Order: sequence, then structure tokens, then C-alpha cells
Amino acid sequence: MKFLILFFASLTLCSNGQTATEILEKSEQKMRGNTLQAEMILQIIRPGWMREMSIKTWMKGRDLAVILVTSPAREKGITFLKRQKEVWNWIPALEKTIKLPPSMMSQSWMGTDFTNDDLVKESSIVREYTHRIIGDTLIDGRSCHLLELLPLPETAVVWGKIITAIDKKDYMEMMARFYDEEGALMNSMYGYDVKMMDGRWIPTRYEMIPADKKGQKTVLHYESILFDRHLEDRFFSIDHIRKIAY
Amino acid sequence: MWLLHLAWRNIWRNKWRTWITVSALSFAVLLSVLAESLKEGIFDNLIKNVVGFHTGMIQVHQMGYQEAQQLDNSFRVNDTLQAKLLSHPNVSACSFRLESFVLACAGDKSKGCMLSGIVPNEEDKVTRLSEKLIAGHFLQSGDNGILIGQGLAKKLDLRIEDTLVLIGQGYHGAMAAGHYPVRGILRFGIAEMNDHFVYLNLPVAQELLDAEERATAGILLLKNDDDFILTRKQLSAHLGNSYEVMTWEELLPEMSQHIKTDSGDMRIVQWILYFLIGFGILSTLIMMMLERKYETGMLLALGMPKYKLMLVLVCESLLTVITGCVIGILLSIPVIARLHLQPLRVSGDFAKAYERFGFEPVFPASNHLHIFYTQGLFVLVLGILLSLYPLIRIMRTQPLEALKK
Repeated sequence: MKFLILFFASLTLCSNGQTATEILEKSEQKMRGNTLQAEMILQIIRPGWMREMSIKTWMKGRDLAVILVTSPAREKGITFLKRQKEVWNWIPALEKTIKLPPSMMSQSWMGTDFTNDDLVKESSIVREYTHRIIGDTLIDGRSCHLLELLPLPETAVVWGKIITAIDKKDYMEMMARFYDEEGALMNSMYGYDVKMMDGRWIPTRYEMIPADKKGQKTVLHYESILFDRHLEDRFFSIDHIRKIAY
Repeated sequence: MWLLHLAWRNIWRNKWRTWITVSALSFAVLLSVLAESLKEGIFDNLIKNVVGFHTGMIQVHQMGYQEAQQLDNSFRVNDTLQAKLLSHPNVSACSFRLESFVLACAGDKSKGCMLSGIVPNEEDKVTRLSEKLIAGHFLQSGDNGILIGQGLAKKLDLRIEDTLVLIGQGYHGAMAAGHYPVRGILRFGIAEMNDHFVYLNLPVAQELLDAEERATAGILLLKNDDDFILTRKQLSAHLGNSYEVMTWEELLPEMSQHIKTDSGDMRIVQWILYFLIGFGILSTLIMMMLERKYETGMLLALGMPKYKLMLVLVCESLLTVITGCVIGILLSIPVIARLHLQPLRVSGDFAKAYERFGFEPVFPASNHLHIFYTQGLFVLVLGILLSLYPLIRIMRTQPLEALKK
């Protein structure tokens, strides 16, 4: 009898035989692969002005990432290294690597609407949140799963709730909304311009829009993307990020 | 006319009594002028000190900077703006600053601090920054070194010619990073400044923050600090809507509030003083009326109308009160002049507390003209009001009663 209840309970949590966690993991595997190399253009849009940055990024799994700024000239060569929960910053002007102190983690990353923390915490979405399917939605004519992510108790996370939409067919993350502990919307992220890149369908443009700042957003364009090419762990070391730019 | 003549003769009939009344009044004027002048002097000095630390009497910003103090609300320093500011008759100098929060790092230690890009000799005129130097050299123009507060130097373990790294966010979100040799160490009276303030040459700071030719504030040095409200109004109208002109009272609202409260406390003390002065004068008047009881009774008995007697007394009071006030003002002039030129020095713990805040431990007296006439006038009115007492007495006098010895 008990078994039967459990069975039905789990059935309601499933969709097409998939749990929310499975959907998220699939999406993550789809969007990031084992390794990922990408070139992107970041546009910081503010009321009255706009700024563009080109960056290159390398990622391996959830824990290792390198971001290199390639333009504008002033910031060329600035490199960020993410290893687990730590962020290191190589600044060519200083010829120095700096570990971002905890006090700087909640500050804006390079003047964008992403925080330094956003670089780090992405990895924890699968691990530190509970996942639940709360329905279906249609985004740009694509049928999507609507998932609700709530932080596990006793984890120090930034968001109180995340609502995300994942395409049912291609497992693309089409939308995410980030709420604070009081349930107020803080940031919204939307994906656009789905294209075939390196054999996978992915949105090539993401917009990050802070809820409380009018006329302000950050737009991220993927210029090129390569999945699952071999990258050594050594690539993601403090010594190596000094040399990447040259 | 004969009434005035009678009054004059009455005054000199008992010289002692008159001189006592006159001296009571002049002493009252002297005391209240002294109290007011010290009060104004001390608060003016306090304001000058506080404002001279960093804020200045008047600042010019890009409209909206005070609300959101960030580099994106900076303005372009151009000749037109500079000419407009300096053409105001009450502005003697203008120092432009580019200010932003940055992270200061040395070795493996780091600390958040307030960076000011300054024009060294202009800044020196406004805040006398070079006097705060305790080691090294003051910034020369063109120098790419940095001046840091003593507390910060201690925390980051920095000495002269060590390198300090600054990291932060520049104009329009640009990355700001640079390293600078420590040229000098400054000691401020205020711990907040001592632990957090660093100074670069303006062009160096502009390059670091990617804010070419920009500044967040123009700090004005005034020829006459007392006219700051008028000056602000005129500048505000002259500069138009893209700039905000703010006085120290708007920039440091807590300090302004604090001074107002303290000033209110002083007012209470002053009223107690007026109260004492009033009783002093009243007692001489009571004494006078007691002495002249027989005389007034006699005059009334002889058929002098009460109103004429009252007129005589009014003339007497006016003459003594005015003389007293004039003498009081004349006496207070040398006293105030002396205290203005050679201020009272406080000593002991009080002096130490003053010095810790970087103030000179002095109580200067203000020599504003208005203090003399307002206080003189105040005592004059007080004296006239009090001389109503003899009139009331006369009104009530019954000649027969008064003549009884």
C-alpha cells in the first residue's frame, strides 16, 4: 500500500517519465556539454549610454571556467578564472592575479547586470536547489517545461526562488526569473535567436534584465561556440590565465 | 520742553543712582554682546573646521549626483563652466574633484577606500590638504604618486614609495586598475578620513577611472563665507538645470542639524542671561522708586498731573537706558576686538578632544556688526519695558499715603 502511494506521488512529479532534476541535468548537458568554448559579445545597456565588450570563455564541467576579455582595448587581456566557488582575476595593467574577496562577490561583474557571484553560483543550481515541474508554457512557439527551483534548507544561496522554462524538445533554457527571499522579482533572463551551433540548437542571444532598474539590461550574443573539445584541467590554473591573452 | 529739562535735572540730582542704573545696563549689553559673539564665533569656527575637512562651503555637481553618488553622474570639466564659476564675485577659487570608491590592495591585504582625484594646489586652497601631511611629499602636478591616510597606511602596512594597487569600477562600468607609489601620508582629525581616504592627481584618477576630463564635484572657496546662501542661489540660476549647486548644510545635513541643536541649547543659556540682566535693572528701578516715593507724593500733592510726572519719568528712563546701551556697546568693542584677534585658548581634556578632531582648540569671538546692534537693541527694549514699572507705581500712588513718613 505504501509503495503504491509513493508510486503515485512520484508519478505526479514526472512528466513524460522525466523528473524535474533530470530535465535540468539534460538541459545543462545540452547547453554546456562536457567542455565549452565560446566567443561572445556583451552589450551593457543603460539609460543614456551603452557599452560593448568581446569575451572568450572556456568551461569544463560545472566547476572550471575561464573568461578572457578581448575588447575594448582598455580592458583587453583581463582574465577571470573560476574554480569551484572561487574567482581569480588576472589584471594585465597590474601584472597581478587577485582573488575576489567575498565583499566583491555581490558586486557587478565588469559593469554588467551579472554579479561576480553569478559566475560562481551557476554551478550550484542543480545541487543546491529542489526542482519541481509546475507546468507548461509556450515561448516563441516552443513548448517548454516550467520548473520551480527552491533552495535546499541550510544552503547559503542568493535567490529565494527561480522559475525557469526549458524547451521540451531541445532542452534549451529559454527563460529564467530570479526572486529574492521575500518573493520579489529581481532579475529576468530570456533567450532568443535559436540557431544551430556546433551541431546543437541553442538560443544565441540572452538578455538579462534587472527588475528594479528601468532602461537597463545586459545582452549576451554568442558569436561562435564549440562543444566537447578536449580541454586539460591545467588550462584552468592561476599560472595559465596569465598567458592566455598572449 | 520743561519736562525734558526737569528729567535732565532729576538724572543728575542723584548721580550715584543714575550711574548704577547706567552701569547695570551697559554691563548687560556687554555681557549679552559677549555671549552672542562667542556663540557665533564658536559655531562659525566649527563650521569652518568641519567644512574645511573635505566638503567646502559650496559644491557644484552634475544634476542628480547627490542622490546617486557614482561616476556615471559626473560632469565634463570645461572652460565655460570654470569661467562661469570663477566670474561670480564671491568665488575666489574652484577645485575640481573626481571621487569614487575603490579597493586598495597592498601585498595580500585589501581595504575599500574613497579615492579623490584632485588638482593639488587648488585643493590646498580649499581644504589645506598639505598641512595634513606627516610624511613624504605633497603631490606636485604631473606626479603619478598617491597620498594616503595614516590609518590606511597602517592597515596596509605601507611606507613612503611603497606601491599601492587600486581596483574598482570606472566611468560607464569600465574596469579600473592601477598601481601608484605612495608619495605622502596624511593625518586627518576624523578617523573615517584617516582610514579611508586616498588622493591622486586629477588626470591620473581620470585615466584610472576611464573618465577623461570629468569630475564629480567642483568645490568652491568663497571670499565671504557668510554669503554662502546668496552665492548658491545666484550660481544655481547662472549654471542652469544640468548642474546642482549645494551648500554645506545640504551636503552635511547631520552636521548642520547638530549645530542647530547646539545653537538652540545656547539660546536657552542666553535667555537665562537676559532674565538675570532684567532683574538687575528692575532692582535698580525698584530702589529708585522707593527712594523717590516722598518726592513723587509731594509733586502729586502740589497738583502736578500724573501723566506729566509719568512723562518726566519716561524721559529719565529713555535717557539712562540709551546712555547705558551706548556705553555698553562702546565698552564691548575693545573686548570683542581683543577676543577676535586673540581667541580664548582652551586647555586640558577639552583641548585634547578638540585637537583629536583636527580643530584648533580656540574659542574665537565673532566680530559681526549685527551682534552689536541686535544685542544693544535687545537690552534697550528690555530697559524700556522695565521702566514701565515706575509708571505703574506712579499710577497707583496715593499722595497722602506717599507723604506719610
